[in-house]
Amino acid sequence: MRMSIKLTTQAYCKMLLHAAKYPHCAVNGLLVAEKQKEKKKDSHSTPILCVDCIPLFHGTLALAPMLEVALTLIDTWCKENKYVIAGYYQANERTKDFRPNQVSEKVGARIAENFSEAAMIMVDSTRFTMGCYEPILAIYDHHENKWKCRDCNVDSFDDWCEAQKITSALLEGRSYESLIDFDNHLDDLRNDWTNPEINKSVLHLC
Amino acid sequence: MSFLYCLNPEKHKLRKWREDNHRNSEQIVDVGEELINEHASKLGDDIWIIYEQVMIAALDCSRDDLAWTCLQELKRQFPGSQRVKRLAGMRLEALEKYEDANKQYDSILQDDPTNTAARKRKISILKAQGKSAEAIRELNEYLEQFVGDQEAWHELSELYINEHDYGKAAFCLEELMMTNPHNHLYCEQYAEVKYTQGGLENLELSRKYFAQALKLNNRNMRALFGLYMSASHIAASPKVNATVKKANVKYATWATNQINRAYQLAGRGTKENKCSVKAVEEMLESITMS
Repeated sequence: MRMSIKLTTQAYCKMLLHAAKYPHCAVNGLLVAEKQKEKKKDSHSTPILCVDCIPLFHGTLALAPMLEVALTLIDTWCKENKYVIAGYYQANERTKDFRPNQVSEKVGARIAENFSEAAMIMVDSTRFTMGCYEPILAIYDHHENKWKCRDCNVDSFDDWCEAQKITSALLEGRSYESLIDFDNHLDDLRNDWTNPEINKSVLHLC
Repeated sequence: MSFLYCLNPEKHKLRKWREDNHRNSEQIVDVGEELINEHASKLGDDIWIIYEQVMIAALDCSRDDLAWTCLQELKRQFPGSQRVKRLAGMRLEALEKYEDANKQYDSILQDDPTNTAARKRKISILKAQGKSAEAIRELNEYLEQFVGDQEAWHELSELYINEHDYGKAAFCLEELMMTNPHNHLYCEQYAEVKYTQGGLENLELSRKYFAQALKLNNRNMRALFGLYMSASHIAASPKVNATVKKANVKYATWATNQINRAYQLAGRGTKENKCSVKAVEEMLESITMS
Protein backbone atom coordinates (compact mmCIF):
# COMPACT_ATOMS: atom_id res chain seq x y z
CA MET A 1 0.00 0.00 0.00
CA ARG A 2 1.70 3.22 -1.18
CA MET A 3 1.91 5.95 1.40
CA SER A 4 -0.34 8.76 0.34
CA ILE A 5 1.04 12.22 -0.18
CA LYS A 6 -0.57 15.35 1.16
CA LEU A 7 0.19 18.92 0.27
CA THR A 8 -0.09 21.90 2.56
CA THR A 9 -1.54 25.15 1.32
CA GLN A 10 1.90 26.74 1.26
CA ALA A 11 3.32 23.99 -0.94
CA TYR A 12 0.43 23.99 -3.44
CA CYS A 13 0.20 27.74 -3.53
CA LYS A 14 3.84 28.39 -4.36
CA MET A 15 3.78 25.73 -7.09
CA LEU A 16 0.88 27.46 -8.82
CA LEU A 17 2.34 30.92 -8.31
CA HIS A 18 5.52 29.73 -10.01
CA ALA A 19 3.58 28.45 -13.01
CA ALA A 20 1.55 31.68 -13.09
CA LYS A 21 4.65 33.87 -13.05
CA TYR A 22 6.02 32.23 -16.21
CA PRO A 23 3.01 31.21 -18.30
CA HIS A 24 5.12 31.03 -21.46
CA CYS A 25 7.83 28.79 -19.96
CA ALA A 26 8.28 25.36 -18.51
CA VAL A 27 8.83 25.58 -14.75
CA ASN A 28 9.97 23.07 -12.16
CA GLY A 29 10.74 22.79 -8.49
CA LEU A 30 11.02 20.61 -5.43
CA LEU A 31 8.68 19.66 -2.63
CA VAL A 32 9.95 19.11 0.89
CA ALA A 33 8.50 17.16 3.78
CA GLU A 34 9.36 17.07 7.45
CA LYS A 35 11.86 14.36 8.24
CA GLN A 36 10.21 11.54 10.20
CA LYS A 37 11.95 11.13 13.54
CA GLU A 38 11.69 7.39 13.93
CA LYS A 39 10.03 4.62 11.97
CA LYS A 40 6.73 4.19 13.72
CA LYS A 41 5.22 0.74 13.70
CA ASP A 42 2.17 1.93 11.84
CA SER A 43 4.11 4.40 9.67
CA HIS A 44 2.53 3.00 6.53
CA SER A 45 -0.73 4.72 7.43
CA THR A 46 0.71 8.20 7.98
CA PRO A 47 0.69 10.20 4.77
CA ILE A 48 3.77 12.16 3.76
CA LEU A 49 3.02 15.83 4.27
CA CYS A 50 4.77 18.13 1.81
CA VAL A 51 5.01 21.30 3.83
CA ASP A 52 6.84 23.53 1.42
CA CYS A 53 7.84 24.01 -2.18
CA ILE A 54 11.08 25.38 -3.62
CA PRO A 55 10.63 26.79 -7.13
CA LEU A 56 13.72 25.99 -9.18
CA PHE A 57 13.87 27.00 -12.82
CA HIS A 58 11.91 28.45 -15.69
CA GLY A 59 12.62 28.09 -19.40
CA THR A 60 15.16 25.47 -20.33
CA LEU A 61 14.94 22.66 -17.80
CA ALA A 62 17.09 20.07 -19.52
CA LEU A 63 20.54 21.26 -18.45
CA ALA A 64 22.42 19.61 -15.59
CA PRO A 65 24.86 21.95 -13.83
CA MET A 66 22.51 24.45 -12.15
CA LEU A 67 20.14 21.66 -11.18
CA GLU A 68 23.00 19.95 -9.37
CA VAL A 69 23.91 23.21 -7.65
CA ALA A 70 20.32 23.72 -6.56
CA LEU A 71 20.01 20.17 -5.23
CA THR A 72 23.26 20.60 -3.26
CA LEU A 73 22.29 23.91 -1.67
CA ILE A 74 18.70 22.88 -1.00
CA ASP A 75 19.88 19.61 0.52
CA THR A 76 21.93 21.55 3.09
CA TRP A 77 18.98 23.83 3.80
CA CYS A 78 16.80 20.76 4.30
CA LYS A 79 19.24 19.26 6.80
CA GLU A 80 19.27 22.52 8.79
CA ASN A 81 15.47 22.56 8.89
CA LYS A 82 14.94 18.82 9.39
CA TYR A 83 13.29 18.53 5.99
CA VAL A 84 13.77 15.96 3.31
CA ILE A 85 13.30 16.44 -0.43
CA ALA A 86 10.14 14.43 -1.03
CA GLY A 87 8.97 15.40 -4.49
CA TYR A 88 9.43 17.20 -7.78
CA TYR A 89 6.97 19.24 -9.80
CA GLN A 90 7.00 20.40 -13.37
CA ALA A 91 4.73 22.39 -15.65
CA ASN A 92 5.57 21.99 -19.33
CA GLU A 93 5.96 24.86 -21.78
CA ARG A 94 2.96 23.92 -23.87
CA THR A 95 -0.33 24.22 -22.00
CA LYS A 96 -1.79 21.09 -23.52
CA ASP A 97 1.24 18.99 -22.70
CA PHE A 98 1.07 17.71 -19.14
CA ARG A 99 2.74 14.37 -19.52
CA PRO A 100 5.97 13.57 -17.68
CA ASN A 101 9.05 13.74 -19.87
CA GLN A 102 12.68 12.73 -19.68
CA VAL A 103 13.58 15.62 -17.38
CA SER A 104 10.82 14.97 -14.88
CA GLU A 105 11.52 11.23 -14.83
CA LYS A 106 15.25 11.73 -14.37
CA VAL A 107 14.95 14.24 -11.56
CA GLY A 108 12.15 12.26 -9.97
CA ALA A 109 14.26 9.12 -10.03
CA ARG A 110 17.19 11.00 -8.51
CA ILE A 111 14.99 12.17 -5.64
CA ALA A 112 13.57 8.67 -5.23
CA GLU A 113 17.13 7.40 -4.65
CA ASN A 114 17.19 9.33 -1.39
CA PHE A 115 13.52 9.11 -0.56
CA SER A 116 11.77 5.98 -1.71
CA GLU A 117 8.27 7.43 -1.47
CA ALA A 118 9.14 10.40 -3.67
CA ALA A 119 6.35 11.82 -5.78
CA MET A 120 6.59 13.37 -9.24
CA ILE A 121 3.93 15.97 -9.87
CA MET A 122 2.87 17.35 -13.23
CA VAL A 123 0.80 20.52 -13.35
CA ASP A 124 -2.15 20.46 -15.73
CA SER A 125 -2.21 24.01 -17.08
CA THR A 126 -5.36 23.43 -19.14
CA ARG A 127 -7.36 23.49 -15.92
CA PHE A 128 -5.48 26.38 -14.36
CA THR A 129 -7.94 29.11 -13.40
CA MET A 130 -7.85 32.13 -11.11
CA GLY A 131 -10.59 30.55 -9.03
CA CYS A 132 -8.61 27.32 -8.48
CA TYR A 133 -11.86 25.38 -8.21
CA GLU A 134 -10.23 22.00 -8.60
CA PRO A 135 -6.78 20.56 -7.92
CA ILE A 136 -4.81 20.64 -11.18
CA LEU A 137 -2.08 18.16 -10.40
CA ALA A 138 -1.26 14.68 -11.59
CA ILE A 139 0.76 12.76 -9.00
CA TYR A 140 3.11 9.96 -10.05
CA ASP A 141 4.75 7.30 -7.86
CA HIS A 142 7.94 5.44 -8.62
CA HIS A 143 7.19 1.74 -8.96
CA GLU A 144 9.74 -0.75 -10.29
CA ASN A 145 11.50 1.90 -12.37
CA LYS A 146 8.26 3.17 -13.86
CA TRP A 147 6.16 6.16 -12.95
CA LYS A 148 2.53 5.41 -12.32
CA CYS A 149 -0.15 8.03 -12.10
CA ARG A 150 -2.40 8.04 -9.09
CA ASP A 151 -5.59 9.93 -8.36
CA CYS A 152 -5.20 13.49 -7.22
CA ASN A 153 -8.25 14.85 -5.51
CA VAL A 154 -9.10 16.90 -2.45
CA ASP A 155 -7.75 14.11 -0.24
CA SER A 156 -4.26 14.92 -1.52
CA PHE A 157 -4.43 18.15 0.45
CA ASP A 158 -4.02 18.87 4.11
CA ASP A 159 -6.96 21.31 3.79
CA TRP A 160 -8.29 21.70 0.26
CA CYS A 161 -10.72 24.54 1.08
CA GLU A 162 -7.95 26.57 2.60
CA ALA A 163 -5.60 25.78 -0.29
CA GLN A 164 -8.21 26.76 -2.85
CA LYS A 165 -9.14 29.98 -1.09
CA ILE A 166 -5.62 31.18 -0.42
CA THR A 167 -4.13 30.20 -3.79
CA SER A 168 -6.94 31.99 -5.57
CA ALA A 169 -6.51 35.10 -3.41
CA LEU A 170 -2.78 35.25 -4.06
CA LEU A 171 -3.27 34.78 -7.80
CA GLU A 172 -5.79 37.62 -7.88
CA GLY A 173 -3.38 39.77 -5.92
CA ARG A 174 -0.60 38.95 -8.42
CA SER A 175 1.68 37.64 -5.66
CA TYR A 176 3.43 35.62 -8.34
CA GLU A 177 5.22 38.79 -9.42
CA SER A 178 7.31 38.60 -6.26
CA LEU A 179 7.82 34.83 -6.26
CA ILE A 180 11.52 33.92 -6.33
CA ASP A 181 12.83 30.78 -7.98
CA PHE A 182 16.37 29.45 -8.02
CA ASP A 183 16.98 31.05 -11.42
CA ASN A 184 16.12 34.44 -9.92
CA HIS A 185 18.51 33.66 -7.05
CA LEU A 186 21.34 32.94 -9.49
CA ASP A 187 20.60 36.25 -11.22
CA ASP A 188 20.90 38.06 -7.89
CA LEU A 189 21.97 36.25 -4.72
CA ARG A 190 19.85 38.57 -2.60
CA ASN A 191 16.73 36.96 -4.05
CA ASP A 192 15.55 34.48 -1.44
CA TRP A 193 14.24 31.17 -2.84
CA THR A 194 12.54 30.33 0.44
CA ASN A 195 10.05 33.12 -0.35
CA PRO A 196 9.52 34.34 3.25
CA GLU A 197 7.20 37.15 2.18
CA ILE A 198 4.86 34.82 0.33
CA ASN A 199 4.96 32.39 3.24
CA LYS A 200 3.88 35.27 5.47
CA SER A 201 1.02 36.13 3.11
CA VAL A 202 -0.17 32.54 3.20
CA LEU A 203 -0.10 32.46 7.01
CA HIS A 204 -1.81 35.83 7.13
CA LEU A 205 -4.69 34.56 5.02
CA CYS A 206 -5.14 31.32 6.94
CA MET B 1 14.36 65.69 -23.74
CA SER B 2 14.47 64.71 -20.08
CA PHE B 3 11.54 67.05 -19.41
CA LEU B 4 9.45 64.98 -21.81
CA TYR B 5 10.41 61.82 -19.96
CA CYS B 6 9.37 63.44 -16.70
CA LEU B 7 5.99 64.10 -18.23
CA ASN B 8 5.73 60.50 -19.38
CA PRO B 9 7.56 58.09 -17.12
CA GLU B 10 5.15 55.45 -18.40
CA LYS B 11 6.30 56.06 -21.97
CA HIS B 12 9.89 55.73 -20.81
CA LYS B 13 9.10 52.43 -19.07
CA LEU B 14 7.51 51.02 -22.23
CA ARG B 15 10.50 52.06 -24.27
CA LYS B 16 12.93 50.42 -21.87
CA TRP B 17 10.89 47.20 -21.92
CA ARG B 18 10.91 47.32 -25.73
CA GLU B 19 14.65 47.80 -25.87
CA ASP B 20 15.33 45.03 -23.34
CA ASN B 21 12.83 42.74 -25.03
CA HIS B 22 11.15 42.08 -21.70
CA ARG B 23 8.20 39.72 -21.72
CA ASN B 24 6.46 41.36 -18.73
CA SER B 25 3.17 41.37 -20.60
CA GLU B 26 0.85 42.09 -17.68
CA GLN B 27 2.79 45.22 -16.76
CA ILE B 28 2.95 46.35 -20.39
CA VAL B 29 -0.83 45.96 -20.65
CA ASP B 30 -1.37 47.87 -17.38
CA VAL B 31 0.86 50.77 -18.37
CA GLY B 32 0.12 50.72 -22.08
CA GLU B 33 -3.65 50.50 -21.85
CA GLU B 34 -3.77 53.56 -19.63
CA LEU B 35 -1.43 55.50 -21.91
CA ILE B 36 -3.50 54.65 -24.97
CA ASN B 37 -6.82 55.43 -23.35
CA GLU B 38 -5.86 58.59 -21.47
CA HIS B 39 -2.92 60.17 -23.23
CA ALA B 40 -3.04 59.09 -26.87
CA SER B 41 -2.90 62.67 -28.14
CA LYS B 42 0.31 63.42 -26.25
CA LEU B 43 2.22 60.42 -27.59
CA GLY B 44 2.87 61.74 -31.07
CA ASP B 45 4.31 59.27 -33.52
CA ASP B 46 5.37 56.97 -30.73
CA ILE B 47 1.80 55.82 -30.44
CA TRP B 48 2.15 53.38 -33.33
CA ILE B 49 5.03 51.46 -31.83
CA ILE B 50 3.23 51.50 -28.52
CA TYR B 51 0.11 50.05 -30.15
CA GLU B 52 2.27 47.26 -31.53
CA GLN B 53 3.95 46.59 -28.18
CA VAL B 54 0.70 46.67 -26.24
CA MET B 55 -1.04 44.46 -28.80
CA ILE B 56 1.56 41.71 -28.46
CA ALA B 57 1.42 41.96 -24.67
CA ALA B 58 -2.37 41.85 -24.78
CA LEU B 59 -2.22 38.62 -26.80
CA ASP B 60 0.03 37.19 -24.10
CA CYS B 61 -2.60 38.05 -21.47
CA SER B 62 -5.59 36.78 -23.47
CA ARG B 63 -6.85 40.36 -23.74
CA ASP B 64 -8.26 39.95 -27.23
CA ASP B 65 -10.40 43.06 -26.77
CA LEU B 66 -7.35 45.25 -26.28
CA ALA B 67 -5.37 43.43 -28.98
CA TRP B 68 -8.21 43.96 -31.47
CA THR B 69 -8.40 47.69 -30.68
CA CYS B 70 -4.66 48.13 -31.21
CA LEU B 71 -4.78 46.11 -34.42
CA GLN B 72 -7.61 48.22 -35.87
CA GLU B 73 -5.71 51.43 -35.15
CA LEU B 74 -2.61 50.05 -36.83
CA LYS B 75 -4.58 48.74 -39.84
CA ARG B 76 -6.15 52.15 -40.29
CA GLN B 77 -2.84 53.97 -40.13
CA PHE B 78 -0.79 51.50 -42.17
CA PRO B 79 -3.11 49.81 -44.66
CA GLY B 80 -1.47 46.95 -46.56
CA SER B 81 1.54 46.88 -44.27
CA GLN B 82 3.34 43.54 -43.99
CA ARG B 83 4.29 44.33 -40.43
CA VAL B 84 0.64 44.83 -39.47
CA LYS B 85 -0.31 41.69 -41.40
CA ARG B 86 2.13 39.78 -39.23
CA LEU B 87 0.45 41.18 -36.10
CA ALA B 88 -2.90 40.00 -37.44
CA GLY B 89 -1.32 36.59 -37.87
CA MET B 90 -0.08 36.61 -34.30
CA ARG B 91 -3.59 37.33 -33.10
CA LEU B 92 -4.83 34.29 -35.02
CA GLU B 93 -2.06 32.25 -33.38
CA ALA B 94 -3.18 33.44 -29.94
CA LEU B 95 -6.69 32.28 -30.80
CA GLU B 96 -5.13 28.94 -31.85
CA LYS B 97 -6.41 29.43 -35.40
CA TYR B 98 -3.19 28.07 -36.80
CA GLU B 99 -4.44 27.34 -40.31
CA ASP B 100 -5.67 30.90 -40.74
CA ALA B 101 -2.45 32.25 -39.23
CA ASN B 102 -0.40 30.19 -41.67
CA LYS B 103 -2.47 31.52 -44.59
CA GLN B 104 -1.74 35.04 -43.39
CA TYR B 105 1.99 34.38 -43.25
CA ASP B 106 1.98 32.55 -46.58
CA SER B 107 0.38 35.59 -48.20
CA ILE B 108 3.11 37.82 -46.76
CA LEU B 109 5.74 35.44 -48.12
CA GLN B 110 4.13 35.39 -51.55
CA ASP B 111 4.61 39.14 -51.80
CA ASP B 112 7.98 39.08 -50.09
CA PRO B 113 9.78 35.71 -49.89
CA THR B 114 12.56 37.23 -47.79
CA ASN B 115 10.22 38.28 -45.00
CA THR B 116 12.02 36.69 -42.07
CA ALA B 117 9.37 37.62 -39.51
CA ALA B 118 6.68 35.63 -41.32
CA ARG B 119 8.95 32.61 -41.68
CA LYS B 120 9.80 32.68 -37.99
CA ARG B 121 6.14 32.91 -37.04
CA LYS B 122 5.44 29.79 -39.08
CA ILE B 123 8.16 28.01 -37.15
CA SER B 124 6.65 29.25 -33.88
CA ILE B 125 3.35 27.69 -34.91
CA LEU B 126 5.06 24.34 -35.36
CA LYS B 127 6.55 24.74 -31.92
CA ALA B 128 3.17 25.63 -30.40
CA GLN B 129 1.68 22.54 -31.99
CA GLY B 130 4.38 20.37 -30.44
CA LYS B 131 5.88 19.53 -33.82
CA SER B 132 9.46 19.87 -32.58
CA ALA B 133 11.10 17.81 -35.30
CA GLU B 134 9.47 19.88 -38.03
CA ALA B 135 10.25 23.13 -36.25
CA ILE B 136 13.89 22.09 -36.03
CA ARG B 137 13.97 21.13 -39.71
CA GLU B 138 12.37 24.41 -40.82
CA LEU B 139 14.63 26.44 -38.58
CA ASN B 140 17.71 24.70 -40.00
CA GLU B 141 16.52 25.52 -43.53
CA TYR B 142 15.88 29.11 -42.49
CA LEU B 143 19.37 29.43 -41.06
CA GLU B 144 20.95 28.14 -44.26
CA GLN B 145 19.53 31.25 -45.89
CA PHE B 146 19.77 33.69 -43.02
CA VAL B 147 22.99 32.53 -41.40
CA GLY B 148 23.44 35.73 -39.37
CA ASP B 149 20.14 35.58 -37.50
CA GLN B 150 21.27 35.25 -33.89
CA GLU B 151 17.79 35.01 -32.45
CA ALA B 152 17.21 32.03 -34.72
CA TRP B 153 20.46 30.30 -33.73
CA HIS B 154 19.53 30.75 -30.09
CA GLU B 155 16.01 29.42 -30.63
CA LEU B 156 17.47 26.41 -32.43
CA SER B 157 19.87 25.73 -29.56
CA GLU B 158 16.92 25.71 -27.17
CA LEU B 159 14.92 23.38 -29.39
CA TYR B 160 17.86 20.97 -29.50
CA ILE B 161 18.34 21.15 -25.72
CA ASN B 162 14.69 20.28 -25.20
CA GLU B 163 15.18 17.26 -27.45
CA HIS B 164 18.30 16.36 -25.45
CA ASP B 165 20.42 16.68 -28.60
CA TYR B 166 23.24 18.44 -26.79
CA GLY B 167 25.80 18.02 -29.55
CA LYS B 168 23.70 20.02 -32.00
CA ALA B 169 22.78 22.57 -29.33
CA ALA B 170 26.50 23.07 -28.72
CA PHE B 171 27.02 23.68 -32.45
CA CYS B 172 24.41 26.47 -32.42
CA LEU B 173 26.02 28.08 -29.40
CA GLU B 174 29.43 27.84 -31.09
CA GLU B 175 28.01 29.89 -33.97
CA LEU B 176 26.78 32.47 -31.48
CA MET B 177 30.08 32.60 -29.61
CA MET B 178 31.98 33.10 -32.87
CA THR B 179 29.92 36.15 -33.79
CA ASN B 180 29.63 37.41 -30.22
CA PRO B 181 32.96 36.62 -28.56
CA HIS B 182 32.31 39.05 -25.70
CA ASN B 183 28.92 37.67 -24.74
CA HIS B 184 29.36 35.91 -21.40
CA LEU B 185 25.90 34.38 -21.53
CA TYR B 186 26.59 32.36 -24.67
CA CYS B 187 29.87 31.10 -23.16
CA GLU B 188 28.13 30.09 -20.00
CA GLN B 189 25.27 28.35 -21.82
CA TYR B 190 27.74 26.50 -24.02
CA ALA B 191 29.54 25.33 -20.90
CA GLU B 192 26.26 24.09 -19.42
CA VAL B 193 25.50 22.13 -22.58
CA LYS B 194 28.95 20.54 -22.64
CA TYR B 195 28.65 19.63 -18.95
CA THR B 196 25.28 18.02 -19.59
CA GLN B 197 26.69 16.06 -22.54
CA GLY B 198 29.05 14.45 -20.05
CA GLY B 199 32.31 12.60 -20.35
CA LEU B 200 35.71 13.82 -19.26
CA GLU B 201 36.53 15.73 -22.46
CA ASN B 202 33.24 17.63 -22.36
CA LEU B 203 33.67 18.35 -18.65
CA GLU B 204 37.08 19.89 -19.32
CA LEU B 205 35.64 21.96 -22.15
CA SER B 206 32.81 23.08 -19.92
CA ARG B 207 35.26 24.14 -17.23
CA LYS B 208 37.21 26.20 -19.77
CA TYR B 209 34.08 27.95 -20.99
CA PHE B 210 32.74 28.61 -17.50
CA ALA B 211 36.11 30.20 -16.82
CA GLN B 212 35.88 32.20 -20.02
CA ALA B 213 32.40 33.43 -19.11
CA LEU B 214 33.78 34.55 -15.75
CA LYS B 215 36.60 36.42 -17.46
CA LEU B 216 33.98 38.26 -19.52
CA ASN B 217 31.76 38.92 -16.51
CA ASN B 218 33.09 38.12 -13.06
CA ARG B 219 29.64 38.46 -11.53
CA ASN B 220 28.07 35.64 -13.53
CA MET B 221 27.09 33.31 -10.67
CA ARG B 222 26.12 30.46 -12.99
CA ALA B 223 29.62 30.53 -14.45
CA LEU B 224 31.15 30.55 -10.99
CA PHE B 225 29.05 27.65 -9.76
CA GLY B 226 29.65 25.85 -13.05
CA LEU B 227 33.40 26.26 -12.66
CA TYR B 228 33.18 24.71 -9.21
CA MET B 229 31.00 21.80 -10.40
CA SER B 230 33.05 20.95 -13.47
CA ALA B 231 36.42 21.29 -11.75
CA SER B 232 35.39 19.18 -8.77
CA HIS B 233 33.92 16.46 -11.02
CA ILE B 234 37.16 16.35 -13.02
CA ALA B 235 39.22 16.21 -9.82
CA ALA B 236 37.10 13.32 -8.58
CA SER B 237 37.38 11.36 -11.83
CA PRO B 238 39.49 8.17 -11.66
CA LYS B 239 40.63 8.82 -15.24
CA VAL B 240 42.78 11.88 -14.50
CA ASN B 241 46.39 11.92 -13.42
CA ALA B 242 47.64 13.58 -10.25
CA THR B 243 48.68 16.82 -11.97
CA VAL B 244 45.29 17.37 -13.57
CA LYS B 245 43.59 16.45 -10.32
CA LYS B 246 45.68 18.92 -8.36
CA ALA B 247 44.98 21.71 -10.86
CA ASN B 248 41.25 21.12 -10.75
CA VAL B 249 41.18 21.02 -6.97
CA LYS B 250 42.83 24.43 -7.14
CA TYR B 251 40.19 25.76 -9.56
CA ALA B 252 37.35 24.33 -7.50
CA THR B 253 38.76 25.78 -4.29
CA TRP B 254 39.17 29.18 -5.90
CA ALA B 255 35.59 29.02 -7.15
CA THR B 256 34.28 28.06 -3.73
CA ASN B 257 36.04 30.99 -2.10
CA GLN B 258 34.62 33.34 -4.71
CA ILE B 259 31.13 31.92 -4.16
CA ASN B 260 31.57 32.35 -0.42
CA ARG B 261 32.63 35.94 -0.94
CA ALA B 262 29.65 36.61 -3.23
CA TYR B 263 27.26 35.29 -0.60
CA GLN B 264 28.92 37.36 2.14
CA LEU B 265 28.53 40.45 -0.02
CA ALA B 266 24.90 39.69 -0.81
CA GLY B 267 23.80 38.47 2.58
CA ARG B 268 22.23 40.45 5.29
CA GLY B 269 22.59 37.59 7.71
CA THR B 270 19.38 36.02 6.48
CA LYS B 271 18.70 32.44 7.53
CA GLU B 272 18.64 31.19 3.96
CA ASN B 273 21.86 32.95 3.22
CA LYS B 274 23.53 31.31 6.22
CA CYS B 275 22.47 27.93 4.86
CA SER B 276 23.91 28.73 1.48
CA VAL B 277 27.18 29.78 3.05
CA LYS B 278 27.23 26.55 5.05
CA ALA B 279 26.53 24.53 1.90
CA VAL B 280 29.39 26.25 0.15
CA GLU B 281 31.72 25.49 3.09
CA GLU B 282 30.70 21.85 2.85
CA MET B 283 31.46 21.96 -0.86
CA LEU B 284 34.92 23.26 -0.02
CA GLU B 285 35.50 20.51 2.53
CA SER B 286 34.39 17.82 0.11
CA ILE B 287 36.91 18.92 -2.52
CA THR B 288 39.87 19.29 -0.23
CA MET B 289 39.17 15.89 1.30
CA SER B 290 39.00 13.98 -1.99
